[in-house]
Amino acid sequence: MSGAPLLELRALCGGYEPVQVFRDVTLTMEPGASIGLFGPNGHGKTTLLKTVSGLIDPWRGDILFEGVRLNREGARGRRASQNLNYDAFTGRRMDPRRVVRAGLIHVAQGNLLFPELTVRETLAVAGLATHGRGDPDALTKYALTLFPRLSERLDQKTRFLSGGERQMLSVSCGLIAAPKLLILDEPTLGLSPKLRHELGEAVRAIRRTGVPLIVVDQDVEFLKSLIDVLYLFDHGRISGRIERADMPSHEALMRMLFGEAAH
Amino acid sequence: MTFETFLAVCLSGVVLGALYALMATGLAVVWTTLGIFNFAHGAFIAMGAYVAWQVGNSNAGGAGYLAGGGATVVCLFALGVLFHLLLVKPFERKASVVLLSVVTTLAGATILEGVMNLAWGPRSKQLDPIAPGDFAWGELVMSRNELVMIALALAILAAVGAFLRYSSTGRAMRAVAQNREAAQLLGLDVARLYALAFGLSASLAGVAGLFIGSIRFMSPTMGAEPLMKALIVVIFGGVARFTGPIYAAFVVGIVEAFSSYYIGLYWTPAVLFALMIVVLMIKPEGLFGKHERSV
Repeated sequence: MSGAPLLELRALCGGYEPVQVFRDVTLTMEPGASIGLFGPNGHGKTTLLKTVSGLIDPWRGDILFEGVRLNREGARGRRASQNLNYDAFTGRRMDPRRVVRAGLIHVAQGNLLFPELTVRETLAVAGLATHGRGDPDALTKYALTLFPRLSERLDQKTRFLSGGERQMLSVSCGLIAAPKLLILDEPTLGLSPKLRHELGEAVRAIRRTGVPLIVVDQDVEFLKSLIDVLYLFDHGRISGRIERADMPSHEALMRMLFGEAAH
Repeated sequence: MTFETFLAVCLSGVVLGALYALMATGLAVVWTTLGIFNFAHGAFIAMGAYVAWQVGNSNAGGAGYLAGGGATVVCLFALGVLFHLLLVKPFERKASVVLLSVVTTLAGATILEGVMNLAWGPRSKQLDPIAPGDFAWGELVMSRNELVMIALALAILAAVGAFLRYSSTGRAMRAVAQNREAAQLLGLDVARLYALAFGLSASLAGVAGLFIGSIRFMSPTMGAEPLMKALIVVIFGGVARFTGPIYAAFVVGIVEAFSSYYIGLYWTPAVLFALMIVVLMIKPEGLFGKHERSV
């Protein structure tokens, strides 16, 4: 499958029934390249990524990973009535297990992980996701060198971690799963500038090991340091594509999206 | 009250406690993992006793106690998985799954009771004791059966606790219980882990039924009263930790034994419920609980 793109979305539509959140999203990721998604909050970025990782069913369109279709063929089955049980009568189009097995790992936004599991146990659970793509022990060791703070807290339960530490644990879990493509949904959300810098360094280190990324973030400078192509995403569709070379500053981008009056 | 009477009452409380601990842990495993309450647990208890009777008892299958116990664990595990598949899984993505599963598991319990009535008849049966005879220690006389029962119950609980804590499947089960979406994103097989939790819980109920069947008479509805007690135990102890319901089970068992001795059998459930309400008013998350819904 060397010639096939890493990830290809073909006219993907989806949302939370009955509300359609995004429509006709078409996107191709070349092998080895990383992309960023940038756009206002509440316009469907997270829903799109949740659909790609199979948490919610796509309505129409296809998701191909390394040339292999991850969803069942055809459009989403239609219920004769809204009152019928979708799971029992139509069957789902996506299975998140298949997505993980293919090597597409999604680190969710504000991932709360498992509050009553210790850090050590959480990392061990993440190791189950490698499916032979990598050595979980070696990856765990690498993750702990990226986030030394976590190795001090290995026997703490996740619910006692600070927001920043939890975010680090979340990214570590994604890394330990030995991804072929890692989706990071706002990894720096709600962090202090210092933690943001620390986490950013770690993400850049992960990128340097050759893991392609899909990053959602509100910080253009952070995105610029990671990705090759930036997609602008608003009102549930991709409204622009910018190569890294012509990537504007944060202010210029805001003006592009919202017009002059927005500030 | 002489010291011997005191010890005897205590011992009967500990026996009850061990039984309640088995049942309540089974309930708590399903509750914490799937977030639903399984009302078929009482029917599982009765079913466990009947399977053990059919396979193992001297006046039925006659294959011995061990074979009966093994058959109970295996059959009840399968039954638990089947119940999950038919009665809970179709609804698990609905927002109203808690209410729906109350009705579906109640329906399952009723159907199962009917099946047991049909298969074994309403006449009361009893299982042979695991170890017949008495064990005397000084002036204290205990039934061997009860001693073996306490030891086995504690050993089984320790094994289940170790499984949840140290095995990778057990860890995955706890992870799914605590955050289903995050578990899916790490590729855990949620449906399989849910079925496993349900099966494990049903097996625990079956073993509890097997023990109850050897000290009381069996009937298809024999699980109803223990189920109520187990519910009290789970609420009383909280489910924040695996050990919460176990401690609470012994507290409830001993309170029940003393209340039966002093106040009488008739008023004991009322005493227990009153106690439970007082505890809930003071500590809504249960006596040993800190947080709701986790193993």
